[in-house]
Amino acid sequence: MSTIRIDNVRKSFGGFEVVHGVSLDIADGEFVILVGPSGCGKSTLLRMIAGLESISSGNVVVDDLVINRLPPRERDIAMVFQSYALYPHMTVRRNMAFSLKLAGAPKGDIDRQVQAAAEILDLVSLLERKPAQLSGGQRQRVAMGRAIVRNPKLFLFDEPLSNLDAKLRVQMRSEIKELHQRLRTTTVYVTHDQVEAMTMADRIVVMNAGRIEQAGTPMDLYEKPASLFVAAFIGSPSMNLIHGRIEDSAFLSDAGARIPLAANAPVTSDPVVLGVRPESLHVGGVGPAFGECRLRVVEPMGSETLLAATLLSGGDGAHGGGENIMILSRVKERYAADTTVRVGADPGEFHFFDATSGRRLE
Amino acid sequence: MTATAGLRRAPEIAVSAHRHIDLLTRIVILMVLALLLVFILLPLFWMLKSSFQTNFEVQAIPPVWLPENPSVEPYDLAGQLIPLWRYIANSLYVSTAAAVIAAALSAMAAYVLARFRFPGATLILALILLTQLIPSVTRIFPVYFLIQDMGLLNTFSGMIFAYVGFSIPFAVLLLRGYFQTSCPPELEEAAMMDGCTYFGAFWRVILPVSLPGIAAVTVFTFLNAWNDFLWASLLLSSGEMKTIQVGIGEFATESGVSNYQNAFMAACVISTLPALILFFFVQRWLVGGLTAGAVKT
Repeated sequence: MSTIRIDNVRKSFGGFEVVHGVSLDIADGEFVILVGPSGCGKSTLLRMIAGLESISSGNVVVDDLVINRLPPRERDIAMVFQSYALYPHMTVRRNMAFSLKLAGAPKGDIDRQVQAAAEILDLVSLLERKPAQLSGGQRQRVAMGRAIVRNPKLFLFDEPLSNLDAKLRVQMRSEIKELHQRLRTTTVYVTHDQVEAMTMADRIVVMNAGRIEQAGTPMDLYEKPASLFVAAFIGSPSMNLIHGRIEDSAFLSDAGARIPLAANAPVTSDPVVLGVRPESLHVGGVGPAFGECRLRVVEPMGSETLLAATLLSGGDGAHGGGENIMILSRVKERYAADTTVRVGADPGEFHFFDATSGRRLE
Repeated sequence: MTATAGLRRAPEIAVSAHRHIDLLTRIVILMVLALLLVFILLPLFWMLKSSFQTNFEVQAIPPVWLPENPSVEPYDLAGQLIPLWRYIANSLYVSTAAAVIAAALSAMAAYVLARFRFPGATLILALILLTQLIPSVTRIFPVYFLIQDMGLLNTFSGMIFAYVGFSIPFAVLLLRGYFQTSCPPELEEAAMMDGCTYFGAFWRVILPVSLPGIAAVTVFTFLNAWNDFLWASLLLSSGEMKTIQVGIGEFATESGVSNYQNAFMAACVISTLPALILFFFVQRWLVGGLTAGAVKT
């Protein structure tokens, strides 16, 4: 187990910089998830930690040792790839034993460690099969087995669940989390799926365009997104964002809806964006008024219902609005499209962002 | 009343018309293929049946299509007239050595060109491609004098050296495509994370995974060398060192084909056997190796 310090790390391909001075400290045994859209630099950062990509400037420090120039084989880091990257000509046993064999471990130790890893991952009955004879989930478990058998300082996962179907992904998510809770090995995990990030991470690092937007616990990011990007990225369905300005203790949307605010709302004359999560909006008479809405589409999902609605007027009843919003209702009620409903919301759950910089306003 | 009662039925004329056209097209295609097959196989059949006939039967007009009294005597005769087995051994040695060396060198070169970006990589690839566009006959004098200046004229080493040189460009192009499409870079990255060096990853993971492609290259180089007449007749003039293709040529001029056509054909059959046996064993890999690089799977 190890700590990692990523200190002002940059990466350029040719003259094009794709990672712009990223700094991050990862504690011993922590499960950190790098999340962001495609091309944000998260996989590049992971590959720099692995040693598969050179570092243009800055340092990657593992346990007080700068590892920038160490080849991957000398870093004692194990990695699970998106495509599993199992050796197709080797059996599961040989795949898992490969690193130990290269390290010159005695045969007895290799057998014992492979058996132990196979038992943890329920692979014992598959040890003599080749990768082509395994299902997607089994291959992913073998890839993890190959990583854990070495007992490395650090685990890296590069979108390991992307190739699995939805059901298997949920199952593997729990297995990876359980594995981490059991081994407590420091883990850096890359995904573009914010649900994966929210459910698995001790800490999420949201990246955008080669920079860290925000790092924090899943609930930190959910409750206090530092920027419009994080607000829109974290949470499913994503946060409603309405452009406007703050005037006389109310939010006046660009389309004219006037929504009453709490006393502690920020005071600014600059354009702002009001963020409100779909699950913070309640259909019916509960809580202070957010506004009148017309329901356009009703999507029942069993335990909850997702409503696509258009804001007709703000909470003070004045005419205006026209913004499209999403409402997540957890009340067991049958809604009908093309009906007008009152929507309530607690102004304390509103988020405000500077419309120009995108940063959070307190 | 069934659920489909009263529903309109789509006309079936279109389907039967399609079937009719399909059948006609199929018959035409089959006839064309049969003609092509006859065109390709007739000389081989002629060679095979002549090798079991008497010389009189071979030269008879109208032709005798099947041996009346099949005999292996022409095979004995071929062995008496020329040192057939010596020539075959020479061919096997030269072709095998050229194939193994060319496959080893081109696999390493192709791997580097497939995986690494370095200044001049595109130029190297362009030059390799260029060699495929130049007619091989234009290389006769430069290569001959090169081999002569190196003191390798009339040696197996010189011959192997030439074959390796001729085979490498095509082999590199083929294997580069194979590495790019059939060996994902994650495989060697995983190997390096597991403790391999670059060469270790190549040796322990990439090479075993690329065996079909490498087999294809090896067989092609072997067959090219085995079937070559031009370079073997130019670079190896000593009687003892002749390859089978050149040896058979000598057979015709020294003994006179008209007198020993059946023995000549028997020698030709024997000369095709090693290549045929090799192809029989590796054809599955060979076809896989040639097509694997063609499409992204």
